[in-house]
Amino acid sequence: MTDHRIVFEKTGRARFISHLDLNRCMVRAIRRSGLPAWYTEGFHPHMYLMFPLALSLGTESLCEVMDIRLTEERSPSEILSRLNAVLPEGLHAVEVRTPQDRTQDIEAAEYRVTLTGEALLPLWEQFLAQPEILAEKRTKKGVQTIDLRPLIEAEEAQAEGDHLILALRLPAGNAGNINVSMVTDAFSEFAETPIYVEKLLRTKIFCGNGRLFS
Amino acid sequence: MLKEKIGSVLLEVQRPSRYCGGEVGQVVKDKAKVDVRFAFCFPDIYDVGMSHLGMKILYARINERENYWCERVFAPWTDMEAVMRREGIPLYALESLDPVKEFDFIGFTLQYEMSYTTILHMLSLAQVPVLQRERGEAIAPLVVAGGPCCCDPEPLADFFDLFILGEGEDVDLELMDLYHTMRDAGATRSAFLRKAAEIPGIYVPSLYDVAYHADGTVQSITPKDGAPAVITKRVMPDLDKAYYPDHVVVPYLEIVHDRVSVEVLRGCIRGCRFCQAGFIYRPFREKSPEVVCRQGKALCDNTGYDELSLSSLSTSDHSGIEEILDGLLAYSEQGHVHLSLPSLRVDNFSESVLKKISAVRKSGLTFAPEAGTQRLRDVINKNVTEEEIMRTCSIAFAAGYTQVKLYFMLGLPTETDEDVLGIAALAQKVVDLFYATPGRAKGRPQVTISTATFVPKPFTPFAFEPQVEKAEILRRQQLLKKAVDPKYIKTSLHVSDVSLVEAVLARGDRRLGAVLYEVWKNGGWLESWEEQFRAERWYDAFAKAGLDPAFYANRIRPYEETEPWAHLNYMVSRSFLIRENRKAHAGETTPSCRQQCAGCGANQCLGGSCF
Repeated sequence: MTDHRIVFEKTGRARFISHLDLNRCMVRAIRRSGLPAWYTEGFHPHMYLMFPLALSLGTESLCEVMDIRLTEERSPSEILSRLNAVLPEGLHAVEVRTPQDRTQDIEAAEYRVTLTGEALLPLWEQFLAQPEILAEKRTKKGVQTIDLRPLIEAEEAQAEGDHLILALRLPAGNAGNINVSMVTDAFSEFAETPIYVEKLLRTKIFCGNGRLFS
Repeated sequence: MLKEKIGSVLLEVQRPSRYCGGEVGQVVKDKAKVDVRFAFCFPDIYDVGMSHLGMKILYARINERENYWCERVFAPWTDMEAVMRREGIPLYALESLDPVKEFDFIGFTLQYEMSYTTILHMLSLAQVPVLQRERGEAIAPLVVAGGPCCCDPEPLADFFDLFILGEGEDVDLELMDLYHTMRDAGATRSAFLRKAAEIPGIYVPSLYDVAYHADGTVQSITPKDGAPAVITKRVMPDLDKAYYPDHVVVPYLEIVHDRVSVEVLRGCIRGCRFCQAGFIYRPFREKSPEVVCRQGKALCDNTGYDELSLSSLSTSDHSGIEEILDGLLAYSEQGHVHLSLPSLRVDNFSESVLKKISAVRKSGLTFAPEAGTQRLRDVINKNVTEEEIMRTCSIAFAAGYTQVKLYFMLGLPTETDEDVLGIAALAQKVVDLFYATPGRAKGRPQVTISTATFVPKPFTPFAFEPQVEKAEILRRQQLLKKAVDPKYIKTSLHVSDVSLVEAVLARGDRRLGAVLYEVWKNGGWLESWEEQFRAERWYDAFAKAGLDPAFYANRIRPYEETEPWAHLNYMVSRSFLIRENRKAHAGETTPSCRQQCAGCGANQCLGGSCF
């Protein structure tokens, strides 16, 4: 039995596939691919499949990760080509690795955000200059008010016509996850001018001390 | 452009993957190379429509033709509908995301009466005139319909250009071919419709004048412009040769019947007198076991589904059912595929069949004795004895099953209080049997009784029968409820005005078009969903149209009366239905077709006997 970590893109129409549906979608894709997937034993056997980090509905990604377990040896190139032959529009496997890090090692993720609106760059700067940015976070325990400001690492902000393009690093993983749309929602509320979210794209997943999750 | 607009609003709605298309198995073609486009519309939401087998067959069948393109369209749920109205997004098809109004054919499937107002709403969302007479002489878009409710499509006559009677595999393409030729020759809508009426199975309602007697019953149905006096449904005589897809669209979200289905047979040998499907899908035809197995495996392999349903009206009536199960069992175990047999009958449910389906997964058992006493089961020709029900439950309990669901109908012709109490007695016997079964599972049995109100349907021996009124159904329910021991038996006794509306529409005439229009105008749509249904909206519309629902639903219809569907031929003869109605009242049963031909007439299309 061998474990493989598959890095895949989830873009375009595929951003509307919820996390729960993505699991079912991948199970079916692997079944179509003919790869020898390992099934759990027991009363209701199911295909072993693990997603270390969920992606929220509507956000696209270049770096999604899925772990699979095969009962027979298969080369990374065979796994890639078999999967890509059967994946739906918007899902595309880009790399197969041997898992190095564990799910609980994930600490942050980087996003590229494209917003449309009038004169957004100065507004964004004012937004970040606030001492605190209070936002409501829905958790299992109920609604919690948190301060987003220390959690946002803004790496880049660039105006292009009426677009504002941001590179943001936010906490991710089991220890505390910030959905990128929480930041854009808070910004919209702050700006008091119509802001249209063109695109939310996850670009990287990190472990502690800024090392890429691998 | 519409594509971007749709993408920008989908995060506002629940389950956006209902509305974005892009699933595995969808067929996308180059518009420029396509001659005829068909929008296959299911008048309910994605989750329901995507579960429909007929759509999957016809979608693949049309798309096999390189120059024809069939796409899927579903009704939006209310949240998406509000967004579409706000943003000016017209109803669109999922493959191309193009507006439905640009298609050549807008084809609906008529699966149940409560979807009729949804059809009107979808046409309006598509920005296509709802009324046929307002569509003008341009040939497209043509609004057409198929499906079981076409056996009395009269309430919808005002809204459709034509109806397709019977099985669509061949006739849909014949219709598209004719359209292709005539459109390229510059034909008008009415010229096309006159010509289309010559295709067997095509019914063009605007080519018939209906006159009524003073009492509201139909006096005459008169064809004009050379339309045929009688339209006969289409049948695919050989299922092994009929088209069947080896791939279907694989949805992202969990739909109502989230599995692939292979159809194992069409028609039914049973002749239960209340069951419309059992008559209108005749004659009985089986697919051979090797074809069933081949198609089932191909569907699982191509879609990645891990559940395969062997579907039909009564799967265990297939003469080769054990052979089919043997052929699929090794595959299903090795490939982690769960087999499901949704329509098993009580009387031929053998131990070996049970073992074979439970080999992969164990679920509850569902039986439909339909009536509580043997007398009433004989009246409805549900040829199932209490002994058989007990024998089957005993096998199931011994095999470890604990859940049994029993389905019944209230308001069947000749039903008495004794029959109602018989339901409770039968359920109690099942409970007692559980405790008396050696080797049963631990714990309590879970026996559930569900009742539905009987709705008389066209082309059944009970098409002449009145529906029992709601107040009386309520009384019978209370009687039943008091008679069961709630400790062991759960009751799900549903009653609503929906049954009355169904009974009106199922055997309705053209005058009901005004009622449908009014209900829709007042906000009625997606009324198959309880929360969307308002009884007052219907009663107001009946009053406004000057029509009495009781005339349609609660009246005995004499054998001599001309029925609104008298010009439609579903191959079961009227004399056979009258004979069966008389036998019902005499409490006489009719054996299954396999035992003895009852002479319904459906074998005319096979050129000989069914067996």
